[in-house]
Amino acid sequence: MNKNYIFLTILMLALAVGTLFLHKEKEYEQIKPEELLWDIIQPTRYVTTDQVAKMIIAKDPTLELVDVRDSKQFEKFSLPNAVNVPLSDILKPESQDYFGLPGVKVVFFSNDDITADQAWVITKRMGYNDTYVMKGGLNCWIETIIQPKEPEETAPYTEFEKYQFRKGAQMYFTGAKVESSAKKTEVKVRRRKKTSVAAGGC
Amino acid sequence: MGPLIPNGVIASGWDFVIAILIGLVFGFILEASGFSSSRNIAGVFYGYNFVVLRVFFTAVIVANVGFLYLDYFGWLDLSKVYVLPTYFGPMLLGSIIMGLGFIIGGFCPGTTFTAIAIGKKDALFFFIGIFIGIFLFGEGFPLYDKFYASGYMGNATIEDVLGISAQWFTVIMTVVALASFWVTAEIEKKVRKNRKEYKF
Repeated sequence: MNKNYIFLTILMLALAVGTLFLHKEKEYEQIKPEELLWDIIQPTRYVTTDQVAKMIIAKDPTLELVDVRDSKQFEKFSLPNAVNVPLSDILKPESQDYFGLPGVKVVFFSNDDITADQAWVITKRMGYNDTYVMKGGLNCWIETIIQPKEPEETAPYTEFEKYQFRKGAQMYFTGAKVESSAKKTEVKVRRRKKTSVAAGGC
Repeated sequence: MGPLIPNGVIASGWDFVIAILIGLVFGFILEASGFSSSRNIAGVFYGYNFVVLRVFFTAVIVANVGFLYLDYFGWLDLSKVYVLPTYFGPMLLGSIIMGLGFIIGGFCPGTTFTAIAIGKKDALFFFIGIFIGIFLFGEGFPLYDKFYASGYMGNATIEDVLGISAQWFTVIMTVVALASFWVTAEIEKKVRKNRKEYKF
């Protein structure tokens, strides 16, 4: 037999068996590094707790809250209508269903905004747009919405407006009672002393 | 990188130009392999010439192994490669008709043209027959249009249907192909006395 045939047979067999050792990890399509870097340095991904509260109260259908903490913490406390996608599960195909829906704004949140930022970077790299991060996370949510602090007297008017909204939101989320902001001050009625003497006159 | 046209490496307007170039090379390989002779082609059925089996099996295993490596190296995205949809019953019947045509006529549509190119008269008749067949099929289409679209399985691959991984199937295919090369070479040695030993 021709030696070349034997050589080619062995070569082909080796190449075919070699395919058994090819294990390709699934690669996601990614956006370009420059674009990612550009997006990362933009503060536009952040939404404030006030904005989120406003959207929840208005029952905005375009809002989708995604809690990226683990399921234990999620069960303890989370925002209303939030879905739980732990950061470790974010690449799973079933988690992908939540992202990339047209017209839906995905807002990530965690206890702070670090984990949520990580989730944001991952989804951004996968090419999803319309994803946001709740600035300050749930800690900020507690501070501003659940236990809002009254601004100082010298604070500008807008601060008071914000405080009023937060008080309203607090009532919405916790069911706290109305505190009337006006302090009761005793009204003293000063009466003029009656004088018997004719005052003035011609 | 690949496939080149779906990924926009080559503009889609070029596909016909590329098709012509590939067609030229394909025709050349068919002719060079001896496919323009109906004796060579029908010889597979009668058991004295297995060049068709060897050429096509070589094409299959080289493409099969090559695609897996290209996919692994990231040069070709196999998920974007077009897979012809499967219509099980119609395809089975079609392949039987095609096989019969192969044995009776001694050509397949592609080899007909290579045979015409080197001036074979039998290929010319086969060529006319192809168009009569196409015409009759088209005219009679309402009679079997339901069967034509039956047994749809989508873009099924062996991986999906049989549950074997593409890699294992490739190994099995390669072993079968290589074994068939050696076995058919032995058969040809015994059957054919005027057999040429190709040297390269």
